[in-house]
Amino acid sequence: MTREDVLKGLQERFRDDIIDLYDRSHKRVYMEIIPDALPRVAMYIFRDLGARFNIASGTDTRTHMEILYHFSLEEINLIISLRVKLDREKPAIASIAKLIIGANWIEREMYELLGIQFIGHPDLRRLLLADEWPRGVYPLRTDYEEWDKSAVRDRGV
Amino acid sequence: MSLKLRALLKSPWVFHLSTGSCNNCDIEVLDCLTPRYDIERFGMLLAPSIKHADVLLITGSCNRKSVIRLKRLYEQAPQPCLVVAIGECSMSRGMFIHSYNCPVPLDKIIPVNAYIPGCPPKPEAIIMGAVKLIQKVKGTL
Amino acid sequence: MYIVYLIVYGLILTAVLGLVASWIDRKITARIQYRKGPPFFQPWIDIVKLLGKETIIPSGASKAVFIITPLLGFGSVVMVSTLLWANNNLLFNSFLGDIIVVIYLLAIPSIAIMIGGFASGNPLGRIGASREMKLLLGYELPFILAILVPIIKSGFALKLADILSFQAQNGAFALQASGILALVAAVLCIQAKLGLVPFDIAEAETEIIAGPMVEYSGAPLAVFRLTKNMLLFTLPFFLIILFLGGFNFDGIHILYSVLKYIAILLIITVIRNTNPRLRIDQAMRFFWGPVTGIAVVAVVLAVIGW
Repeated sequence: MTREDVLKGLQERFRDDIIDLYDRSHKRVYMEIIPDALPRVAMYIFRDLGARFNIASGTDTRTHMEILYHFSLEEINLIISLRVKLDREKPAIASIAKLIIGANWIEREMYELLGIQFIGHPDLRRLLLADEWPRGVYPLRTDYEEWDKSAVRDRGV
Repeated sequence: MSLKLRALLKSPWVFHLSTGSCNNCDIEVLDCLTPRYDIERFGMLLAPSIKHADVLLITGSCNRKSVIRLKRLYEQAPQPCLVVAIGECSMSRGMFIHSYNCPVPLDKIIPVNAYIPGCPPKPEAIIMGAVKLIQKVKGTL
Repeated sequence: MYIVYLIVYGLILTAVLGLVASWIDRKITARIQYRKGPPFFQPWIDIVKLLGKETIIPSGASKAVFIITPLLGFGSVVMVSTLLWANNNLLFNSFLGDIIVVIYLLAIPSIAIMIGGFASGNPLGRIGASREMKLLLGYELPFILAILVPIIKSGFALKLADILSFQAQNGAFALQASGILALVAAVLCIQAKLGLVPFDIAEAETEIIAGPMVEYSGAPLAVFRLTKNMLLFTLPFFLIILFLGGFNFDGIHILYSVLKYIAILLIITVIRNTNPRLRIDQAMRFFWGPVTGIAVVAVVLAVIGW
C-alpha cells in the first residue's frame, strides 16, 4: 500500500482520536493523538500495517510532558511518530509493553528518568540509575536540582 | 632504582578499562596494539586478567555504577601498579562536568600517575604519554 | 654426577634455551604480522618482573594447593629435560621403560594447569580447566600412537638410548614413510600440549579471560610461564630424539642439530600464526579423527617394515 493509502486509512479509522497530522517530509509523519487512544492506534500500526516499533522518546517541555512513539514502515520508507501530550504534575499513560514486547525497557527508562507512570506495565522498576539514587528525583526534568553534596563540579583550577 | 621497578618499566602489561565512555578513546587504545604503532616492541602486552596487570588504562567519565566496579578492580591489581587516565573524560569529565551521573573525577577515586589529554588522543600521544610516565617513574623527567 | 646433570642441564640450560625459543617465537610472529617484535631479553624481563609483584590469593581458593601447583608442573619439566639430556649424551645407562616415564611426566604440566584452575575458585578458571581436561583426553591417544612407531622400528626397545643408537647406525626414522607420518601426528599433538593456537582453547583470551590462570599473580604466575617456555624447548627435543636422531655435538653435526630444532620450532610458529582457534568439540573431533587415523596408518606401516 502506498503512503497516501496509509495516511488516509489512519485518518478515516481514528477520526475522533487524531488531533493533528503533520506531514513533515515524504519520509516522516507526526501524528498527535489523545492519550487514551494510544493502545488502539499503536496496535493498528504495529499489527495491521506490519510496522516495526523503533523507539520511544520522552521530553519535558515547560508546559507539559510529551512522548513520541516511532514506528517505521520499511516497504514504503515512512516513519510515523505518534505524539502524546501528558500533564506535568502527574504524568500517566497506558503501557503498551504487554502488546509490543520491545517497548518494555524504554518505558522503564522513561519511568525512572522522567517520572512518567505506565499503567499496566508488567515490571516497572529502575533500569539505568544506580542503587544509591533517591526515589522520586527525576534527573531529566527541567526542574531537577543537584541532591548530591559530595559532587565536585569545578575543574580544580 | 630497584630491580623490581626497572623490570616493571621494561615489561608493563596493560589492562584496559572503560568506565562509561563513548568508546573513541578505547578505539585509539586498540589502535596502539595494532601492527602500525606496535607497542610490543616496548614489551607491552594486553593483560587478559586484572591479576596480570601492571598498568591500568582508564577511559571514560566515571558514572556511579562503574565506580563500584572500578574500585573493586583497583584493589585486585597486584602492586606495584600504575594508573593512566586517557582522554578528557577521565581527566576531568570533559563536557560531562555538570552531568547528574558523574559526581567526581577519576583522581578523587583512585590515585593517578599520568594523564593523556585529547578527545580522543592520537596513538602517538598515547605512546608519548607512556614514555613520559616511564621517565617520571625513573626520575629523569 | 646426577645432581650436576639435574641442575645444570635440566634446570639452567633448559630454562635459558626455552626463553630463547620463546623470544624466537614472538619475533617470528611479529615479523609475520609486519611489525617489529620485542627485544632479545624480553622473556627474561617478564619473569623477573613477575617475581617482583605481590601475590594475591583469592579468599575462595584452596590456599595450599593454589601455591604448590605451579611447582608441580615446573618440577616435572625439569625432570623430563634431565632425562632427555642424559640420554642424548649417553652419560649413564638409560633404564628399561624410561620412555614410558617421560610420557607420564609430560602429562603433569597439563594436570598442574587443571588443578590450578580448579583450585582458584573462579568459575572462569573452572571452565578453562575443564576444557584443558577434554583437550588432554583428545591428544594423548594419537601422541602415544605416534611414539609407538620409533619403539616398533627400533626392535621394540623401550630405552631412549637404544632408539638413539639405532638411528645413529641406520639413519633417522623420519626418512621413512611411517616415520614421517608419525612425526606429523606428533607435531600436531605438541601444538595442543603447548597450548598454542589453534588449540589454545584452555587459555582463550577473548572468551574466558586467561582461563585457569585467571587468579594467578606474581611468583606462581612466573613459575607457570617459565614452565610453558621450558616445554617449548623440551617437547621438540623429545621429538628430535625419537624421530630425527637427537642432538649431536661433534664437528659439523652441531649445525645440523641446531637446524633440526629451528625447523620444528618454525613449523610450530607458522601453524600458530596462520590458523584461527578451534572450538573444543572441533578439536576433539580433529584429534580422534584425522590425526588418530594418520597415527594408526603409521603404526601399521611400521609393523610391516616400511
